[in-house]
Amino acid sequence: MIRTGRAIFGFHEGVLLALLAVVLCIAAWLEPAFVAPRTQLEIGTHAFELALLALPMTMIIISGGIDLSVGATMALASVVLGLLHQAGASMWVASAAALAVGALAGALNGFFVARMRVHPLLITLATLAAYRGLAEGISRGRPMSGFPNGFLELGTGTLLSVPIPVLALVPAVIIMGVIAARSVWGAWVYAIGGNERAAEYCAVPVARVKFLLFTLTGITASVCAIAFAARRNTAKADVGSGIELEVITAVVLGGTSIFGGRGTIIGTALGVVLVHELREFVGWRWGHDEIILIVIGATLIGSVLLANLGFRPKK
Amino acid sequence: MIRCVSVVLAAAILAAGMLGVAPGAGPDRSDKKITVCLLPKKKGVPYFTTCAKGAEEAAKELGNVELIYDGPTDGSPEKAASMVDRWALRGVDVIAVSPNDPEVVGQAMKKAREKGVHVIAWDADAAKETREFLVNQATAQDIGYALVDAMAKDIGGDAPEGEVAIITATLTAANQNEWIKFMKERLAKYPKLSLVATSPSNEDQRLAFQVAQDLMKAHPKLKGIFGISSVAFPGAAEAVKQAGKSGTVLVTGLATPNDMKAYVKGGTVKSVILWNTIDLGYLTIHAAEALATGKLKSGATTLKAGRLGTVTIEGDQIMLGKILVFTKDNIDQFDF
Amino acid sequence: MKDASGHAGGVLTTLLRQRRFVVGLVLVCLIGGVCAANPSFASVQNLRDLLVQSAPVVIVGCGMTFVVITGEIDISAGSLLGVLAALMGLLASPQHAGLSAPAVVAITLLAGMSVGLVNGLLVTVGRVPSIVATLGMLTILRGITELVLGGVWITDLPPSIRILGTGAIAGIPVCVWAAALVAGVLIVVARVTPLGVRTRAVGGNADAAAIARISVVRVKLFAFTLVGLLTAVAALVCVPQQSVIESGIGVGFELVVVTAVVVGGTSIRGGMGGVLGTVLAALLLGSIRTALVFLNIGEMATFWERAIQGAFILAAVLADHFARAAADRRGGQLAGAAA
Repeated sequence: MIRTGRAIFGFHEGVLLALLAVVLCIAAWLEPAFVAPRTQLEIGTHAFELALLALPMTMIIISGGIDLSVGATMALASVVLGLLHQAGASMWVASAAALAVGALAGALNGFFVARMRVHPLLITLATLAAYRGLAEGISRGRPMSGFPNGFLELGTGTLLSVPIPVLALVPAVIIMGVIAARSVWGAWVYAIGGNERAAEYCAVPVARVKFLLFTLTGITASVCAIAFAARRNTAKADVGSGIELEVITAVVLGGTSIFGGRGTIIGTALGVVLVHELREFVGWRWGHDEIILIVIGATLIGSVLLANLGFRPKK
Repeated sequence: MIRCVSVVLAAAILAAGMLGVAPGAGPDRSDKKITVCLLPKKKGVPYFTTCAKGAEEAAKELGNVELIYDGPTDGSPEKAASMVDRWALRGVDVIAVSPNDPEVVGQAMKKAREKGVHVIAWDADAAKETREFLVNQATAQDIGYALVDAMAKDIGGDAPEGEVAIITATLTAANQNEWIKFMKERLAKYPKLSLVATSPSNEDQRLAFQVAQDLMKAHPKLKGIFGISSVAFPGAAEAVKQAGKSGTVLVTGLATPNDMKAYVKGGTVKSVILWNTIDLGYLTIHAAEALATGKLKSGATTLKAGRLGTVTIEGDQIMLGKILVFTKDNIDQFDF
Repeated sequence: MKDASGHAGGVLTTLLRQRRFVVGLVLVCLIGGVCAANPSFASVQNLRDLLVQSAPVVIVGCGMTFVVITGEIDISAGSLLGVLAALMGLLASPQHAGLSAPAVVAITLLAGMSVGLVNGLLVTVGRVPSIVATLGMLTILRGITELVLGGVWITDLPPSIRILGTGAIAGIPVCVWAAALVAGVLIVVARVTPLGVRTRAVGGNADAAAIARISVVRVKLFAFTLVGLLTAVAALVCVPQQSVIESGIGVGFELVVVTAVVVGGTSIRGGMGGVLGTVLAALLLGSIRTALVFLNIGEMATFWERAIQGAFILAAVLADHFARAAADRRGGQLAGAAA
């Protein structure tokens, strides 16, 4: 099986780790309270959606695709969750329905990409508008809240004094990391991204893998919608707007090649943590939302430029 | 080799970048100062910028207040909630919040209170248990009623009649939806005013302009347009002006007087609804300082607020005063 | 590259394979349908408004078509529009720099080209993938816009600048003239000039183009600089239509432009496409919302507006995809013709 780019810890991860260390050292020096474990754990909940969505997005991008509709799918799932709860359904039923809708939305993307061979950028650009529109339409723009306490505990509670959302990320990252680096399925994803035709000749079920990747992304988006509802007690059609670009930023910052075939889950995890720490620290210390935008954009471009310096492909 | 150099380079650039911003930008940490965080619904909008101006004035006057003014530039309630969380962890003294979505931000406000931080709401309210006081310039009901009353007065007559339309921010905008609810309630008082459309403009002036154009064409008998977001108002007014319908189709909404002066003088807009935003920011900081120093306690009925004198408190609401209506006769008296 | 088959199905097949024809057909059907339901849709005033609405998407979309044909993408256009609007406002407003109109126009155009050039350099020399470079630019430029305006909007644009947005020549608004001129010139450039051929060659197969001594770097630099320049043109002729310059100008604009380009038939994989298709698609996308208003379907339209737009885009993407696939099965090679 093709193993190119499946290294677990490469040069790019080293750069990210160094950058992260610098950021945290500066943070510890300027704002000791910021790096306190308690603070870090609690602001960690802010990164939940970003981190969770970045995992399947990494796989999609490694396979050579992209999904712009994750935020819109989140909104759709959120609205379904809220409406069913308001209609008196139990949280179990509502959550299951939200997951089903997310899976369906993702599967539809996957169907068009895998079976119809429509370019993923094209189809998810279209469904980005369509799903969010659908969410606005069926909810009429209203927010829905008043979720039961047991459910809210999922988003705001702690286990062993670690917030549940942060705790939940750990197995998610490990499972996805193992799938990517150690399973046949992960190997297929890399193979497709490296050279789709070659993968096909090697009997990789290209269409099935792509279909499942998009479906998985849809399911992950609904998990995020449920987590958001549990944390902020709100389900609404504007949930997750613009998150697709943040997710792609973190994934690319993590060293995944936008052309596919190269990238790691550890890189993505580091990318997410770097974006998250930069955003939280700049906000904590200087309190300027505008500067956060500039810092993150510059880090994104800078990291890829630097990586290009390090990896000079042989002509 | 190149790799090592680039790692070092990256680290150096980032370090330099961070330190470059560092001098003077960080808050001064002397122990006596009270740190007050002022959160707008959306940063970068003149309405809130003028509020911040008043807040700075109050902070300077009081001397013991360290003011932090920050909010999401895209108005995202989730980002606003994250900021509240962050400030609460940082252990600031008071957080004053204008919640863009009472539910989303309210959750964070509740959590901040549990951590022992004073939380007040200003400009817009959230659920009672999320804050200690509300600095109240106008309730959603006041605003909704004032808008409809102003339109009715502008159209004129004992029983004003005609078709009116609302151009709102987004379909999901919590505050606007609250105002629209009360506007509809108030419209019942004027049976001959009929609401023909409520259209979103997605916080886009150009789209508001187009929506207004379309509304005028699709509803030739249209008499008035409410532009109830900061960019929908000028967008709609410009559309009416360019269509040559100034005076026939009246536009009203909420805006700072400076932003709408030209339209008021040109006759496209007869009245602009707002309150003194500088005073709102000013009063909020005074309330925050009084709360942190123990001068303001639950059950108080008055508050001394610098140049505003003694301000009354009704229940847990600190009242700023009346809604202002700017017309061409008085708009020159205001500069904000 | 024209289909030379003489049999009966040949003409239709050729036409169906060309997205600009399909888009044009849908546009005509949409306008025809709405006019049938509500004749006032066809009024001169309304058609004029539709053209004005679509002008910025047409102007920037024509340049974006070149970028997409070279196989790249530029998603920073919306933020660039915002930053250029802010720059123009600060330069022109008497309360700030108060420069004369020609100076403002020159500096804005220059600034637009410079940012476009930087994008191009990042992509070519820096070898940063275009979607990544321009994604970074998208956030950086939005942050800069917020910073330079600092929460205060510009409401005192001088008449000499406002006229660019509100003025008309021979009864037709300046921005419509600008859009027509840009579209006309670029259609010719894409079709006739060597530059057009080179652009398609670079997108079709960069290695082959390099062997044919076509400078890939230069062609891509040209395309990105063109988008920067045209975004500045759009900022100059479309923004002063409004009285207020605020920090949110251009948010989401890049998605509309990219949608217009791909719905217009330019392949996102590069190598083929045309300016005319983009122009028609921009007009189509701009008409959908207005059409909904004229159909008078009441409150429903408000809540379902975005869903209907999304369904339309989805339908356009899929219809074309199937039309092209069907046409490919029936006759000959892929239509690589450019408009």
